[in-house]
Amino acid sequence: MTDVSEQNLPGIGRSYQVPGIDGTRVVVVVHNTGRRDLYAYSDPEAEPVVVSFNDDQARRLGAVLGGAYFKPTIVSEIEAAIGSLLIDWVTLRDDSPGAGRSIAELEIRRRTRMTVVAIMRDDDTLLAPEPGTVLQPGDRLVVVGRQEDLSGFLRHVVG
Amino acid sequence: MGDELVALGGAFLAAGVLGRFGRQIGLPTIPLFMVAGILLGPHTPGVVLVENPADLDLVAALGLVLLLFYLGLEFTVDDLTGGGRRLLAAGGIYLLLNIGGGLAFGVALGWGSREALVIAGAVGISSSAIVTKLLIDLRRLANPETRLILGIIVIEDLFLALYLAILQPVLDDEPSVVDGFLSFGKAFAFLLAFATLARWGAGIVGRLVATPDDELLTICFVGLAVLAAGFAEELGVSDAIGAFMAGLVLAQSPVADRIGRLVHPLRDAFGAVFFFAFGLTIDPGDVAAVSGPIAIATVITVVLCFVAGLLGARLYGFGRNAAANVSSTILARGEFSLILASLAATAGLDDRVGPFIAGYVLVLALGGPVVASRSRAIARMIPESLLKTRGSRAPGEPSAA
Repeated sequence: MTDVSEQNLPGIGRSYQVPGIDGTRVVVVVHNTGRRDLYAYSDPEAEPVVVSFNDDQARRLGAVLGGAYFKPTIVSEIEAAIGSLLIDWVTLRDDSPGAGRSIAELEIRRRTRMTVVAIMRDDDTLLAPEPGTVLQPGDRLVVVGRQEDLSGFLRHVVG
Repeated sequence: MGDELVALGGAFLAAGVLGRFGRQIGLPTIPLFMVAGILLGPHTPGVVLVENPADLDLVAALGLVLLLFYLGLEFTVDDLTGGGRRLLAAGGIYLLLNIGGGLAFGVALGWGSREALVIAGAVGISSSAIVTKLLIDLRRLANPETRLILGIIVIEDLFLALYLAILQPVLDDEPSVVDGFLSFGKAFAFLLAFATLARWGAGIVGRLVATPDDELLTICFVGLAVLAAGFAEELGVSDAIGAFMAGLVLAQSPVADRIGRLVHPLRDAFGAVFFFAFGLTIDPGDVAAVSGPIAIATVITVVLCFVAGLLGARLYGFGRNAAANVSSTILARGEFSLILASLAATAGLDDRVGPFIAGYVLVLALGGPVVASRSRAIARMIPESLLKTRGSRAPGEPSAA
């Protein structure tokens, strides 16, 4: 576990210092107002690069840094297995043509040449879903196929 | 009623517009609110928005109450003790030099002993608001010396509270020594009662105001702050300290964080009117008349802040840049000096005190940030031998917080 040192800044908020590799360090200041400042030091003597975020932006950045935002863990596992094929993930909306219909009904593999390899629903992951599985709004589908087939799939299922 | 609303609305707007212009060129807002008051007041040519400064008295008083209430709310003993003995030493040195220097200067001016006491505080205490803003704007929050600067500010805040508590009885000019002691006794009893309440009664007070509803919470804590200020004033302790103690009590309650968030905009708005109203009472001619003392006080403050900053930096083993940052940042004067000036005016002290403090704050509130932003250049002028640097400075001070 990397050591994070924490400090109180009276009247401003708290700061958290995280060491980087190669002796660099990053200090995150969480203001009482919700604003976050990120101070990055490439070397201890130099002036830092400072970036400021509002609460929402900071949460997104945190999710990206934590690997939880764009790339679900399941994707990296599959990615390792399939090599050069395209892998992507999409989220179904309430009005997506695929919502409420089963994989078989949609004839996804025949009509789009893409394969749904996993469905992430709430906190569960349905690996290699059965053809009878009914897609629901909010489902995140992990699909595998060729790059040129992706747009057809998006039109057919996600809308 | 129409006139008064026009005056009040104009005060808000003038302060806001001038503050906005200032912000664009990097000036702090507090002195500009005061300048807006001077420009629109009865003592300068042009538009006179408020003929009689007393018209804004009640709203300005509310500003003072909220400023001090917020200060009490934000104050925690942990901030004071968390920095350890070194921080207390650095803060003590700072206070000793600056308050001591201010007192000596005030006595030397010969305007009177009560005047000297007010000047000591006005010259000695930095502006929390401007210092904090500077640290954020100059992007120094992650610097090792920032903890020291904020620590000094916290110690100054605590000192201010104690100082305000003893100042009011002194200002009241009791006719006899016995009466003087009596009013000191009252002030002390008041502080003790509130400190006891903060320590053991905060739960009860907390339950009184704690409601999940923001609307009712706001109404309750404003009521509590104003009531405490009023009682304090009635007892002859000054409304400012009453509001501070109310904040201190509520700081212990489970809703402290929410109150902090809710009081912020109120404090900003009414605080601006407070500074504006103070500006109304100031005649630029009177300020010019005391320009000599203002210049001398400025020089004294600059010198003492640099000495205090260097000594603090030595205690922490900081290098030249950090030392210059400490010294130049704590130079800013602002809200507390103006609060003291306004107290002096209410107590009927020498007429020169108000203009003196107004001019002094103007110089250091506007000049302080300029100096702070050029602290690298100042650092180069500090002889290394004064700091006994041990090789390179420590990159960031890990803490056990």
